Amino acid sequence: MMTTGTRESRLSAAFIKLADTLVTEFDVVDLLHWLVEQCTDILDTQAGGLLLADLTGQLQLVASTSEEAELVEIFQLAAGEGPCLDCFRTGTPVTVGNIEADGGSWPTFSAEALKFGFRSIHATPLRLRGQIIGTMNLFSDHIGALVPEDIAVAQALADVSTIGILQERHIRSANVAGEQLQRALDSRILIEQAKGVLAATMKTTMNDAFAIMRTHARDRNLPLRQVADDVIARRISF
Amino acid sequence: MSESAHAEALVPEPVEVNDLCRLFLNSLPVSGASVAVMTASGARMTLCSSGILAARIDELQFELGEGPQSAVARSGQIVMVPDVALGGHDDWPVLGAALGELAVGAIFCIPIQMGAVTVGVATLYSDSPSTLDYDQQATALMIASAIAGGVVQQAMVAALDEGAEESAAAPALRREVHQATGIVLVQLNTTATIAYARMQAYAFANGIPVHTVARDVVAGSLTFEDTLS
Repeated sequence: MMTTGTRESRLSAAFIKLADTLVTEFDVVDLLHWLVEQCTDILDTQAGGLLLADLTGQLQLVASTSEEAELVEIFQLAAGEGPCLDCFRTGTPVTVGNIEADGGSWPTFSAEALKFGFRSIHATPLRLRGQIIGTMNLFSDHIGALVPEDIAVAQALADVSTIGILQERHIRSANVAGEQLQRALDSRILIEQAKGVLAATMKTTMNDAFAIMRTHARDRNLPLRQVADDVIARRISF
Repeated sequence: MSESAHAEALVPEPVEVNDLCRLFLNSLPVSGASVAVMTASGARMTLCSSGILAARIDELQFELGEGPQSAVARSGQIVMVPDVALGGHDDWPVLGAALGELAVGAIFCIPIQMGAVTVGVATLYSDSPSTLDYDQQATALMIASAIAGGVVQQAMVAALDEGAEESAAAPALRREVHQATGIVLVQLNTTATIAYARMQAYAFANGIPVHTVARDVVAGSLTFEDTLS
């Protein structure tokens, strides 16, 4: 999964690639996915999410490396509380080395994060010339705050990415929120249909059908939506 | 009052799910309302409805897959049906006939937009035939725009929530209908599209709602058989 080489060489490669994107055509959502993945690899965090403010100033989830991170970010936005939101509002990094012990200010966020196995988090502001346009959030399954050196790396990668983000008009429309919504609804419909297929073929309950799909998805590191798609198309059975 | 202050007065924070409908009822001469998100792929989720009739008008359009909601989702323009009983619903003949049996006078569908993208529709109805004048249409659009962000967020949270509860009063994504579709496609050894069409046909033939057919399929009391094989 991850390229070999020292951390320094991986960092250099990351910066070179980022510089490329500033002068060539690129898909900004791909860039954001890549950014979050790079940070999770280089900094040894386990998952990440990226929130960007849309034209009305409302934060939207634009990229995430896992369904767990996606859910924690979405619930955080819906609840209106969390370290990522504090980071956006203050424009300064927010580190929570131990969510269970120190997440008292954000009870809803902390409960959700712990439920998904995240025990620490670091939120980095995306900023350019004094404007905060979003946050990049890194989740870990272990306790411990990022050391200052790592915090600086995260900020540097985020800062260079921000230039590319602001240049890309696509991100500054409501298309992203609309696409995210469509993906979420389509996925939910597929999952429910797939539950029906499994309930009928395996004579199980809907809940058991879901558990079977979720276990399969996790064991093979597949998105749940893809497993649902395969079940409905009768490409896999259990 | 300035326009933004007027909008703020109409949309107090925070906004609960049922309040989405109430915002329209408080500001416009309508008898009921429902709010749904709709995507270009045809997926939809109902977020609230103010009463049984509002829910039925919404449910019919989901069941039949036709109606002013779909037109608004595509065009992003308000659609008004000032007198449902007058007929002439060339674009939704089956829905027109079904609506004729309800105590509905007029229907207005308002696009909910974020920027240039229509993310949902607010469906308003009046007991008697009527229209919305220019100012009322502007008010409706203003409310719709103000709630758009919250509507999308609530819809995403509900869609991602595996354990979300649904009911006839709060059907949301109509998960049971989709689960039944999965069961029927196994029973008929066919696609989801055909399985759903068969459920629709059965519902019409027997004069019952699709969600009732779905409930019976999931409960196991109704089975579809592949009679052509």
